[in-house]
Amino acid sequence: MGWRWPAAAGVAACIVLGLMALVGDGEALPEAAPAAPIAPVVARAPPMPAALEERAARRRQLVEQVRLTDHTYCSYLAHARYPHDSRPAGHHPDQLYPNQALLETNPMRIENGDSDAAIQLQTSQSRVYLAAGEQAVFSLRAVDGSGQPLPLVVTRALAQGVTYGASRAAPRVSVAFTEDDGAWSAPLAPAQTALAGFHGTIRLEVRYHAGGRAGFVLFDVLYSPLLPAVWRGGASEAIAGGSLQFSLPLDVRLAGRYVVTGRIDDAGGRPFALATFNDLLGQGTQQVRLKVHGKLLHDGAPRLPLRLRDVDGYLLREDADPDRLLLPRLEGQVFASQTATPDGVPDTEWHSEERSRYLAEYAKDRKLARARLSGFDPHAPLPPDNCVGGNRAQ
Amino acid sequence: MNQKHTLCALCLLSAAGIAEAANYTLWISGRDPDRSGGTPGNYTDFRYWGPDTTPAGVNKKAVNWDGYSSVASQSGRVRDALDCFCTGPNWCYIAAYSAGELLLGYTLANFGGTTRALKNASPNAAGVCGDTGGVQGGWNIKWVRVASGASGGSELANAGAWTTSEPLVQDLRTSTARAMYNHNDTRNIWFYRYAGARGTLYSFLLPGQDDEVVSYHSSGGAAGSSGRTLCNPGDWFCDDLRYGTERNQGGSVKWSWHSVAFRDDGEHFDHYGDGNWQGIIGVVREAMVGSATN
Repeated sequence: MGWRWPAAAGVAACIVLGLMALVGDGEALPEAAPAAPIAPVVARAPPMPAALEERAARRRQLVEQVRLTDHTYCSYLAHARYPHDSRPAGHHPDQLYPNQALLETNPMRIENGDSDAAIQLQTSQSRVYLAAGEQAVFSLRAVDGSGQPLPLVVTRALAQGVTYGASRAAPRVSVAFTEDDGAWSAPLAPAQTALAGFHGTIRLEVRYHAGGRAGFVLFDVLYSPLLPAVWRGGASEAIAGGSLQFSLPLDVRLAGRYVVTGRIDDAGGRPFALATFNDLLGQGTQQVRLKVHGKLLHDGAPRLPLRLRDVDGYLLREDADPDRLLLPRLEGQVFASQTATPDGVPDTEWHSEERSRYLAEYAKDRKLARARLSGFDPHAPLPPDNCVGGNRAQ
Repeated sequence: MNQKHTLCALCLLSAAGIAEAANYTLWISGRDPDRSGGTPGNYTDFRYWGPDTTPAGVNKKAVNWDGYSSVASQSGRVRDALDCFCTGPNWCYIAAYSAGELLLGYTLANFGGTTRALKNASPNAAGVCGDTGGVQGGWNIKWVRVASGASGGSELANAGAWTTSEPLVQDLRTSTARAMYNHNDTRNIWFYRYAGARGTLYSFLLPGQDDEVVSYHSSGGAAGSSGRTLCNPGDWFCDDLRYGTERNQGGSVKWSWHSVAFRDDGEHFDHYGDGNWQGIIGVVREAMVGSATN
């Protein structure tokens, strides 16, 4: 990596001169967030001679390129204070409560491939991915256009493993739905059925009658019948590597890349951080370390002590289908930290080869875009050189 | 060596250095049920998209996969391409289309921080490049533009409108696509999203605005475990998909590092490229031509 820029530095003058030529190359209008539609701007442009119009368009392109490269550099700089594996909870809004049921409302699907929007089917599914031994709970009820319940009767519910091509058909099992106050629900625990050994997508097809019509709904869960590793208990914490680290002992039966995610709340139960682990683990007892980076701890200033909860993960099988063997899910509080003050945790930004590489490249692009605009229009006002606001990632 | 020779040597050295560092534009294709698209591993085969003479960004490369098998089983195709063109001194701009976004997002979330061997950007017939020595963490990606991204799934897969014998269709169910990986984990790389709205045929299945295959909740990058109804401004009964990273009307948020760059208010663009860079693909192609440069 380092080789090129010393060499290029020797011809820095050539590069700068070359910018004048590069200005003639065509760049289109990149939109950086937040971006406004471009077409109306063009439509509002007053009539002008072709050459002037071309020049104006070119100038707009160069301005947009400056804006894009500014945005790219500044947002990366702002957010790379913390490592990828220890991020503010707010950056992962849909990852904070992984055990909440998945709720959907869709028009009733009927047999001929059509649907009936006058009958809305409300469904819930407690899990999408199931580790060995886990179960998912499904429910459904029907409402009319104004949300009033409609009578519904489940007539048949069958779960079957989905297979492809020449694969032998997977077993099919009946699932018993029961009714409670107009809503029908049923658990599916593959380990207790003929699907116990199946690995992959299990499709539950539920047929029902509602509003005088026959309909169906499909639910998919992805089941892994084998635990690649099991949690040992005895979690601990330490300040190491610039972070507050929670270590979870894991007995690894199958070696490979493990991807684990944990949620960290403040003392008041407010989500504070999302921690991830993605690394190779060999067989035997290993430590999965979930971190709260020191800089994040100081910047976020959460009420201490922190609590680790809702840990899930899997052994990732590269290029395979199914691609994962799930770890047993740890629901609720997993570990209560005893660290009552951030004083012993370093308040330093994340540094890494990846971060340095990205910042160097993005800074180079930013300089180049500014040079192109200045070369095209020496009087063009450039945005401030320092990064200021407006670069949030979500 | 006199001063003139020193200068020439410096120029040659520098020219060699500059030639070695290049920007590439990767085009990651989408679903291809009849498998008539480009040959996987052949980065010059643009059959899926349209004429390969059409400009589509600097040093354009077609990242072909079978468009039929599961995302997990095809991720290696994307990793091969990223290793080839986006390591060492080389950097990539990426255009991802439809299910190609699911494939890219999955790859970045699961493998984006892994150690990669530096490659020479000279692929063999299988699409694998040679080592140049050394390693780095992750890939070199400047940004991504997404044409009708399907990483939030499509209700056409939920409803059985597509054949259920196709592994990719299972991945494209909204609940499965959204649970498959953490969509916010892009390694701090921006995904600029382009959402088409010229859809009519499947409007009874696809909530809100759609391009006939993907609804705005996915093409606009709305976060959450299931789809939702989002539209263009002007529909009183439907929340607006908003530009940039702003919360949508009604309060739904987008995945982090995902930003709406184009919303099809005129309902001009459908999902289909028609083998000629048409539909929403054409909008992204124009953006790539100008902004994916040296």
